Amino acid sequence: MDPAEAEFLAEKELVTVIPNFSLDRIYLIGGDLGPFNPGLPVEVPLWLAVNLKQRQKCRLIPPEWMDAEKLEEIRDQERKEDTFTPMPSPYYMELTKLLLNYASDSIPKADEIRTLVKDTWDTRLAKLRLSADSFVRQQEAHAKLDNLTLMEINTTGTFLTQALDHMYKLRTNLQPGESAQSQDF
Amino acid sequence: MRVVRSPGPAAASAWPRLSGSRGVGARRRPAMSEAYFPVGPGLGPEENFLSLEDILMSQEKLPGRVEAALPRLAAVLGKGAGAGQSDGIPEGSKVEIPLWLAKGLYDNKRRILSVELPKIYKEGWRTVFSADANVVDLHKMGPFYYGFGSQLQNFDNPENPEIAQTILQTFIGRFRRIMDSSQNAYNEDTSALVARLDELERALFRAGQKGLNDFQCWEKGQASQITASSLVQNYRKRKFTDMDG
Repeated sequence: MDPAEAEFLAEKELVTVIPNFSLDRIYLIGGDLGPFNPGLPVEVPLWLAVNLKQRQKCRLIPPEWMDAEKLEEIRDQERKEDTFTPMPSPYYMELTKLLLNYASDSIPKADEIRTLVKDTWDTRLAKLRLSADSFVRQQEAHAKLDNLTLMEINTTGTFLTQALDHMYKLRTNLQPGESAQSQDF
Repeated sequence: MRVVRSPGPAAASAWPRLSGSRGVGARRRPAMSEAYFPVGPGLGPEENFLSLEDILMSQEKLPGRVEAALPRLAAVLGKGAGAGQSDGIPEGSKVEIPLWLAKGLYDNKRRILSVELPKIYKEGWRTVFSADANVVDLHKMGPFYYGFGSQLQNFDNPENPEIAQTILQTFIGRFRRIMDSSQNAYNEDTSALVARLDELERALFRAGQKGLNDFQCWEKGQASQITASSLVQNYRKRKFTDMDG
């Protein structure tokens, strides 16, 4: 899967905007949106929020967790624990990137937030690599990875599954005779 | 008789062996954007018929000893002119046979050929691997260390279990370094990093690099730029050369 595809999925997440125009309820395949009234907050998917924002038709309200203090707490928690801690949103990376790129004026301390999220991300990836290594070293058969997000799985997924594929095949070599020669005749 | 890879009707009869090697490790679905999707190596006693790596690997030489005279095979083994009068290989001579031929000729009952271990799979090197697998230059020694080692299971050697165990442990021991270097080397020259890697490990390294590069590309916002599909690009290139020639 491409990171762009993960981003596409993330764009379905709902965010709150305050429109500055009025429009009746609109009916889309994904569900009904609106109605839009100037000054009244309304929940819309991220793709629409970004689009409205680019045309300067709304003000964006950042998600509750997108706040320097909360993110600092999350980062410290992530560093403290050995396992993955639950993230505030399954698409935290994608949301941060999109919102900070297109609506950094409506998010206080944007730069700080960017660094904090990046720190958390790095910590989590280092953890992922560490656990992948111990998984391989101990030749475990299965592992449970809680609280990982799609984007994180995406970066090491291909590599890890390929490596485990190879390891599985090398391990089946340890038990010969199973695949009896059928080509002799 | 055994099926040896060769053009013509024999190739068709080799197809059934695929059913064996396909079962292990199903191929990942090819991405639609790629014109060519490589088939991975079989990594077992049977090679994967469609894998280019396995075809290259089957050319690797295996030291052995001829137990029965082999008429008219001297040319194949590169001993044609010098040997003199006959074009056969006398009994008892030492030869280096490509793997595909060794697999075809090797037979437990008839003893046409006895196969020795290449030195990298011998006891001495196995000790080196168990000490620290990371220091070995597998590309110089291999470059198909894992695939070729797995193929040795075809020849009844008393050391086979130890070889399989060493290969597995080598892979596990080198895994961390491959993972870390492939996931951290962004925008730098990776030739030094892959120089000592076996072909199988290089493929893994590329997979790791792709994950990293795709992510960095997305983070910098380059992923949202629409580019021409590689299919179309190749098509254009081909058309251009066609017109040239």
